[in-house]
Amino acid sequence: MNPLSADIQIPFPSDHEAEIAYGSLSVDKEPKRGGVSKTMTFSHNVLNVHFQAQEARMLRVSINSFFEHLKLVVETMERFGPPR
Amino acid sequence: MVIAIGFEGSANKLGVGIVKDGVVLSNPRHTYITPPGQGFLPKDTAKHHRDHALDVLQAALEEAKIKPDEIDVICYTKGPGMGAPLVSTALVARTVAQLWKKPIIAVNHCIGHIEMGRLITGAVNPTVLYVSGGNTQVIAYSEKRYRIFGETIDIAVGNCLDRFARVLKLSNDPSPGYNIEQLAKKGKRFLEMPYVVKGMDVSFSGLLSYIEEKAPLLLETNEYTPEDLCFSLQETVFAMLIEITERAMAHCGSQEVLIVGGVGCNKRLQDMMDIMVKERGATLYATDERFCIDNGAMIAQAGWEMFKTGLVTPLQETTCTQRYRTDEVEVTWRD
Repeated sequence: MNPLSADIQIPFPSDHEAEIAYGSLSVDKEPKRGGVSKTMTFSHNVLNVHFQAQEARMLRVSINSFFEHLKLVVETMERFGPPR
Repeated sequence: MVIAIGFEGSANKLGVGIVKDGVVLSNPRHTYITPPGQGFLPKDTAKHHRDHALDVLQAALEEAKIKPDEIDVICYTKGPGMGAPLVSTALVARTVAQLWKKPIIAVNHCIGHIEMGRLITGAVNPTVLYVSGGNTQVIAYSEKRYRIFGETIDIAVGNCLDRFARVLKLSNDPSPGYNIEQLAKKGKRFLEMPYVVKGMDVSFSGLLSYIEEKAPLLLETNEYTPEDLCFSLQETVFAMLIEITERAMAHCGSQEVLIVGGVGCNKRLQDMMDIMVKERGATLYATDERFCIDNGAMIAQAGWEMFKTGLVTPLQETTCTQRYRTDEVEVTWRD
C-alpha cells in the first residue's frame, strides 16, 4: 500500500475570496467508490487541497473535477462579487 | 416581504428564478438538447450547467430588476437528480450566498414542483400526479408530509417516452415528449401494449422493451406508422397514470387533482385526466410548460415557504443527493 498523493495551492486576490472558495468547494464529499480522499484547508489567501488515492486514474479524475468546480466558483466570484 | 432566488439543475434544464411573496419576477431557463437518438449523460449535462449558469443567473436578476442585496434567501435543488449536474448548480448557489451574505436553503426538487403547482393554480389540497423524465408519483398531503400513494417501480413515464423517441430518432428539441405528442395527434391505428398497474404502482420498463423490440418491424412492414405508435404509447401509459390517480382520489376523498412535472404539460394527458376528474365532480389543475418543466422559480417558491417557517441550511450541510424522496421532507409550512 503506497497511496498516491497530490497537493495543490490556489492563491486568491484576498483572504475573503479564499474563504468563500473553501466554503463552496469543501462541502461535497468524494464519491466512495473512487477510493480518493480529499482534504481542504485555507490559510490567508491560499486554498490548500490534499488528494490521496490508490490509483493514478482516480487521482486524475478527482483533480480534473476539482479544477472544473474551482473554475466555476472563480468565475462566479468575478461576475457577481462586490467590485474591488 | 421576502424575495427568494432558486437554482435548479437536477436534470438537463438549468434554471434560475426569482419569487417575491408568491409573484414570479423572472424565471429564465437553458435546456441541454442532445442530438436525435441520444440521451443526456451526467458529465456533459454538468458541463452544460457550468457553461450557462452565470448567464442564466444574470438574466434572472436583470429581468426581475432585482439587486443582490434585495434578495433574502438563496434556494438550490439538493436532489433527487443526477449527481454531477446537481453539484455544478449548487456550487454557484453556495458561492453567491457567501458573496451576498445571504442564508441558503436546500430544496427537494419534487416539493418544488408541488409548491409551484399550488402557487400557480391556486389548488388548496390536491391529489398530485408528478410525472417527469425522472419521477412518476401520485402524492397526497397528510400530517406534515407529502405521502407517496403510488409510484413507478422501475423507470419514470417521461423516461419511457424519451427513450421511445430515440427509437424513432425524433428530435430532442424542444423535448422528445413534445414531439411524441405532436405525432400522436395524427395516430389512427391502436397497437395493444402491456398495461402494467400493480395496486397503486405502475411499471413502464416492460412496456418500453416491448415497443422497442416490436417497433422496427411494424414500421418496416408499414403495418403501423410512427404516428400510430406514438398515439398507442401515449394512450396506454396515460391510462395507467389516470387509473392510479383516480384510486388515490377515492382513497383520500379528494376533490382536486394537480398535475406537475415535465410530462404534465402534455395536453392529451390533461384531457384524459379532465374526463376522469369531471366524472367524479372534481377539479383538475394543471400548468403550462413555463412552470411544469423544471425551472428555478419552483425551487425559489418551495424555499420561500421553508424560509418563512424559519428554516435555513448551514453552508457545510448544503450537499447534494441523487436520491431524496418526497416524503423525507417535513412540511413545516402547511397545517
